[in-house]
Amino acid sequence: MAQQVSLGRYFSYLVALVVSLVLFSIALLALGYDPIASLVGLVSGSFGTVFRTTQTLFLVGPLLLAALAFLVPFRARFYNIGVEGQLYIGALFGYIVAAQMGGVPGIVAIPLVLIAAMVGGTVWIALPLFMRIKLQVNEIFPTLVMNFIAVDIVNWVTAGPLKDPLTGNLQTAPLPQSTWLPSIINNTELNLGFVIALAAAFVVFFVLFRTVLGFEIRASGASPRAAKNGGVDVTRSILAVGLMSGALAGLAGMIVVTGLNHVLAQNFSPGYGYQGIAVAALGTFNPLGSVVASTLYAALSVGGDSLQRSAAAVPIQLTYALQALIVLSVLIVQKWLKDREERRR
Amino acid sequence: MVDYGDLAVSIFAASLPLTMPILYAAIGEVLAERSGVLNMGVEGVMSLSAFVALLTTFYTSSYTLGLLAGIAAGLAMGLLHAFATVKMGVNQLIAGLMLYFLALSIGDFGYVLVSKTTYLHILPIDSVHIPFLSDLPVVGPIIFSQNVLVYASLLVAVVAGLILFRTTWGLKIRAAGENPEATDSAGINVNLVRTICVVVGSALAGLGGASLVIGYLGLYSTGDTLVAGSGWIAIVVVIFARWSPYRAIAGAWLFGLGYAAAAIFIGSSVFSILGPGSGYFLLAIPYIIAIVFIIMFHRGTRPPSYLTVPYKRK
Repeated sequence: MAQQVSLGRYFSYLVALVVSLVLFSIALLALGYDPIASLVGLVSGSFGTVFRTTQTLFLVGPLLLAALAFLVPFRARFYNIGVEGQLYIGALFGYIVAAQMGGVPGIVAIPLVLIAAMVGGTVWIALPLFMRIKLQVNEIFPTLVMNFIAVDIVNWVTAGPLKDPLTGNLQTAPLPQSTWLPSIINNTELNLGFVIALAAAFVVFFVLFRTVLGFEIRASGASPRAAKNGGVDVTRSILAVGLMSGALAGLAGMIVVTGLNHVLAQNFSPGYGYQGIAVAALGTFNPLGSVVASTLYAALSVGGDSLQRSAAAVPIQLTYALQALIVLSVLIVQKWLKDREERRR
Repeated sequence: MVDYGDLAVSIFAASLPLTMPILYAAIGEVLAERSGVLNMGVEGVMSLSAFVALLTTFYTSSYTLGLLAGIAAGLAMGLLHAFATVKMGVNQLIAGLMLYFLALSIGDFGYVLVSKTTYLHILPIDSVHIPFLSDLPVVGPIIFSQNVLVYASLLVAVVAGLILFRTTWGLKIRAAGENPEATDSAGINVNLVRTICVVVGSALAGLGGASLVIGYLGLYSTGDTLVAGSGWIAIVVVIFARWSPYRAIAGAWLFGLGYAAAAIFIGSSVFSILGPGSGYFLLAIPYIIAIVFIIMFHRGTRPPSYLTVPYKRK
């Protein structure tokens, strides 16, 4: 029985992928682009060269961490759509600590900066968490609202108190080099951030599926009432997932700042917090599934970018539409399969 | 010296056109959520409709056709959301976010293609000039010198409120969101009601996007820089307004005021004593008010009981 279910899951991915690619190709054909060449361009643009591959793998980092930040609380039925704001505040906290780290060796500085980022992320989820636990206010609203306040705060400090006076850009001064995440392959974007994200995925997997806390989290999500009757402290589960989520989101922001930009800039996140939700859904809200899903998502983003700049010049927005289409069709096909199975019983 | 009275009048006058797109979208979201369906895709729908309305108006020189095209785009997106969430029962939050990405990228894609050869822009619709009334001090520029789409948005809010609270239609909608099973037993097709509400709601979001272009900006920009959060704000306004189209007017206006004030203060040197960049705070204030408000009134702020719960007949 279990095997049938997982077969169905792979089947749903196949169907969704084929449907999305067919629609994508039809759109390309209708607009006079060459669909085969474009699809080849997407693949070669994301994994065709060492440089492109490292770009893709770099992008896996923030996407995967953001996905984890969403899926951990999702497992306990806490919908944190505030990952975007938490990653901004995480990056701000991390930046403030990192800026003081001139002369401190990286082995000391980097962990401190990452911890500060995790603290920042949890600070930003604290209020929605409090509202949910103490006031029984649904978290969707406060977490969403806090995103915009966070972006406004970062907009303010990068235009005001922390602005680098030496540049016209709305950003801070560069961070001391010791806080930059060390590269895995020299002169490429692939750095420690990718490793941190992968490690986080395995830790989250372990916590969710191999610990008592993880069992309680999943029980709280599956059926809060049954969990409570079974002696699970649902409030404690929600508190735990909330704090983990904020910390993961803070990390997501930090590895972009210390791994790529080396400054805190206005709007440095192109919506990683929201894209992470798509990645988590694509990975069936499983940490290891999200590793695969974030790789696919990142490959499409990087591949779409190089496709746009290639001779074919397919605008990247069509690739973005393809990403959304894939996730949406996976969800619909999965639901359809599940309903069919239920009806058969 | 700055004349603070004049400044206040100009902020208030500028706030209504900024309120309008938020209000249209918020009314649509009230309808959808009252029936039990959350649509997180509003922002993307508005953006797509803004592009479609701009394109249509540019090529046909007709504001009416532009508005209708924008509404139609919203309607189409609503059908997709209804299919995914009402028919198939996919998680509404996730499906809505995917709708946001999908609609946004389709609109952006269309714009990039067209703007390779053409500079898409239109002249926004004129403001009305009512003899005598428009010339009054204070209320003249604030209330009596707006364009038709602004007045229409207020009218739509009132009509939606009347439908929702004073007709059997409204009763069916609220029942579908409060107790779908009992509604079904009463012989009402819950999923049909929900589908209609999602589609109409999305069409209103489309009207909101179209009104932004036709009634205010006259152009489009990619990467969600045009709607720039109005759709997300609409979702916030719905909760702030406790699922009432009437209160949505006040909620949307609060954010419209925030936008208008920020637009003036960000570029103003007079207020630099507050520190550079502090103008961004004005954008955050409505959100902070919204959060404080919900903490204070959290007991009275309860969403429709079956919001986000798909209904399946037994």
